[in-house]
Amino acid sequence: MGDNRSDVLQGTLDLIVLKTLEAMSPLHGYGIARRIEQVSGDSLVLNQGTIYPALLRLEQRGWIKSEWGTSETNRRARFYSLSRIGRKKIAEETENWERIAATMARFLAPSN
Amino acid sequence: MDFLRTLLSRTAELFAHPHRDNNLDDEIAAHLDLLIQENIANGMSQADARTAALRVFGGVAQTRETYRIQRGFPHLEQFARDLRYAARQLRRSPGFTLTAVLTLALGLGANIAVFSLLNCILLRPLPSPHADELAVIRSDRSDDEHGPAYSFGSPFLRALEQHHDGFESIAGYSSHPFQVRNESTNVRVPGAMVSGHFFQMLEAPPLLGRWLSPLDDREGQATVAVISDSYWKTRFHRDPAVIGRTLTIANKTFTIVGVMPSSFVGADPMYRPEIYVPIWAEPIVDAPYNAIASGHHSWWMRLIGRRAPGVSLDKANAALGSLSDGILDQSIPDAKWIKEARDHHFRFVAEPGSRGYSYMRDTFRKPLVIVFVLCSAMLLLACLNLASLLMARAAARERELATRLAMGASRLRLIQQLLVESLLIAVLGTAAGLMAAPVVSRLLAAVLVGGNGAFVILDTSLDLRVLAFVAIVAVVSTLLVGLVPALRATSKGLNEQIKSGSQSVHTRQHHFLPRFLMSMQVALALILVFGAGLLATSLQRLHAIDLGFQPKNLVDLALDMNKQSRDGDALLAWYRQYLDALSRLPGVRAAAYVSFPPMSGSAWTETMHSTISHGEQQIYMNSISSGYFRTLKVPMLAGRDFQWSDNITSGLKVILSEHAAQKLFPGQNAVGQSVDMSKKSYQVVAIVGDIHYTSLRKEAPPEAYLCITQNTDHKPNYEAVTRIEGSVVPFAAAARQLASRMAPEIPAPILTPMMTDIDGSIASERIMAMLAVFFATCALLVTAIGLYGTLAYSTARRTSEIGIRMALGAKPAQVVGLVFRENAWVAVYGSLAGLVVSWFAARALTSLLYGISARDPWVLLASVFVLVCIASAASLVPAIRAARIDPSTALRAE
Repeated sequence: MGDNRSDVLQGTLDLIVLKTLEAMSPLHGYGIARRIEQVSGDSLVLNQGTIYPALLRLEQRGWIKSEWGTSETNRRARFYSLSRIGRKKIAEETENWERIAATMARFLAPSN
Repeated sequence: MDFLRTLLSRTAELFAHPHRDNNLDDEIAAHLDLLIQENIANGMSQADARTAALRVFGGVAQTRETYRIQRGFPHLEQFARDLRYAARQLRRSPGFTLTAVLTLALGLGANIAVFSLLNCILLRPLPSPHADELAVIRSDRSDDEHGPAYSFGSPFLRALEQHHDGFESIAGYSSHPFQVRNESTNVRVPGAMVSGHFFQMLEAPPLLGRWLSPLDDREGQATVAVISDSYWKTRFHRDPAVIGRTLTIANKTFTIVGVMPSSFVGADPMYRPEIYVPIWAEPIVDAPYNAIASGHHSWWMRLIGRRAPGVSLDKANAALGSLSDGILDQSIPDAKWIKEARDHHFRFVAEPGSRGYSYMRDTFRKPLVIVFVLCSAMLLLACLNLASLLMARAAARERELATRLAMGASRLRLIQQLLVESLLIAVLGTAAGLMAAPVVSRLLAAVLVGGNGAFVILDTSLDLRVLAFVAIVAVVSTLLVGLVPALRATSKGLNEQIKSGSQSVHTRQHHFLPRFLMSMQVALALILVFGAGLLATSLQRLHAIDLGFQPKNLVDLALDMNKQSRDGDALLAWYRQYLDALSRLPGVRAAAYVSFPPMSGSAWTETMHSTISHGEQQIYMNSISSGYFRTLKVPMLAGRDFQWSDNITSGLKVILSEHAAQKLFPGQNAVGQSVDMSKKSYQVVAIVGDIHYTSLRKEAPPEAYLCITQNTDHKPNYEAVTRIEGSVVPFAAAARQLASRMAPEIPAPILTPMMTDIDGSIASERIMAMLAVFFATCALLVTAIGLYGTLAYSTARRTSEIGIRMALGAKPAQVVGLVFRENAWVAVYGSLAGLVVSWFAARALTSLLYGISARDPWVLLASVFVLVCIASAASLVPAIRAARIDPSTALRAE
């Protein structure tokens, strides 16, 4: 489903979400979005809504799990945390991403 | 793994709570709330905070949509929605739905029923591993007028067991009922005598014990038997200690050595042996006959072979063919016979045998295929009919569909939705058809088997092949029914639709398709009606044939006397006593013995000559007792009947039929003269009327009758032909009781009404005529519904046009004519097309018809007349309704 371009982007967002949850969990959607903005130093501008399809995708794969709880404003909200599979997958995905980044870096390095 | 988990999670969503969307909404609301709180904390006003929050979140609706698509299977959900929509549409017009479903159920049900019969008789392979390697063996001779022979004598089997180039092995078998001792008496049990390689070749491991091997099949070995699973169940209640127990077959003890599984059916798919014994035991089982001793004069077994690995059928056949000569020399001790066989190019032939051999296949192939074609035509007609009805209905929705197209729905999407509707009709129709099919196919099987004895089994159960057929037919009919109307209904843009309006005068082009479909229906209906007319007329002519005797109220009562102890005069005395007792039963008008009742399927022929006959004449023979002609009501033309006192010492006597008398004594009075048969001389004592002996269609053959009191055979079997009054049931009970009292050891006599035999002899004609008339009636009904439905519909849409016409002075008669003409053309074109096709297709029926030409003009005319009447009746109602339109109401309705 979908084309390759969005796959790469999805992959990126997925890993960011996983890393966020590794550092802090459980977190609700808003918490995850805020945390991403903080960590990226606001350099990554994110439509916060897009993290919900990402969360669904990760949950369908069984990498994260969720529970219903109450937000700080006293509303019903879902809290996400890493599953056992998810913890294992982070290492794999990180390595994957580093390989891509390194390859990209070689292309982008000034040629002399 | 991830993919699987995702798939699972999505599938689970299909069955999730319908209010699950609320969960996401809650989550989003909580998220926005936190954003707003944050913004307010940063000093924004309530309204600004909300706007900013929504901006940061970015498209709530979009998020929801993406989420929803990703969550489940949108296509499936859409399909479910379409299905619900279609169901609502169908519920809204129950009359249409019922008609549609019933029409389709009728067409599909008939097709499934006939196909399961076809599958069982013509297609289904034997349940043996690698059944494609099996070959049925036959022999061809250039002088054989009956075509290839599938029966063989035992010398051929023994020779082929030793020499079987191209084959792994060749086995022989012969199936017929055995006489088995029960607690109190003997009963008939379907059995088979099989040669040593039979089980090994069919590769079916026994359920218990062992199967019969070549070691068992040698003369003088222990008498052993293998039984079927069902016999194990009914007779031994699945007792595991059955091995080693005994059965008494034809008064001899057989030891059970094995039980075959229920999946094993032997080599004849239409016969289920319960007991298998080695073929060498034939003289024991068949006593007092001995087919093995008669060698090449007795052709009583079938041969089947398994090709050697890697040998094609062609090669195996060639190898077998080249063996033929050597086998003749080796197995036949009769040089004259061998020479004659060689002169006529006797040779063995191997033909594909994966389905085993059944004589029913050749008999019923053509009738079944014709019936199948008839019911396919019926199904096609049903589909066309539904297509035209759907098209008429869709016309009402043209504006709705055009509007949806204009609002951005894709055409594909709309077609999909319309097809789901026809799919739903097809599924409902198929389900109804599937439910009815087993009942129908069992009924058909009963008619087919009718005269062929109690042990023929037609297993018409639904197997994978039938289900695949059902699936294909259902899909094809969905497309046939739905595609054209769907394509047409979505072909117009809104612009065109609005321009033309609902009450437009229809253009010729717009009308072509429905008219074409309706014409095709009329054509198909005409073909069906014509075919049914021919078959029914032919059957009626067959029934009207004068058999030479009066079969109504005659019952054949078959006595199995050849395994009991009486013989000679004692047996004859018993026969006479039994007949006397039988004649005294209430309701019995007359009774007599005969060895082969006419039309029972068996016959006996001999050659005879007289001093003035032109050489030997082939004569159909029978042994009868005194009173036979009186019982059958055959006229005695000259001379006297046999008497019980005519015995061997009083000189051999014969009664000739008129036809035989003419052949043997051309131009002379035969009574008192003598004829020679098998080197014996017989005196002619009477001439009787001719009767049909074996076939309704064939002319009555020359017949001669011998007297049972002069028969020197051992333990002959006779049938008591009895003319009764009233119901056969009490008579059957009384006759059986009488037999068990007078000879407790014999199996209960089998009673067959003569009419059953006669109907059985024309089973395929009967089944074809019955089904053809049924299909034709349905076709007429369906066509009438179609013609009425489409015309009523198109007339309703022309209401205002007709209103204007009437306002402008058109008379009611003119309006009737206007509307009526629409269907008149359909009927005329359809009939013409049907006539042309019938004219050419009818030739396929020629060989099945009796006493009528396949192009009988009267039947053709009558068919056209019937169809025109039906079409007129169907068209008249809408036409009259149109003429009653009140112009002012019609115009105001606009």
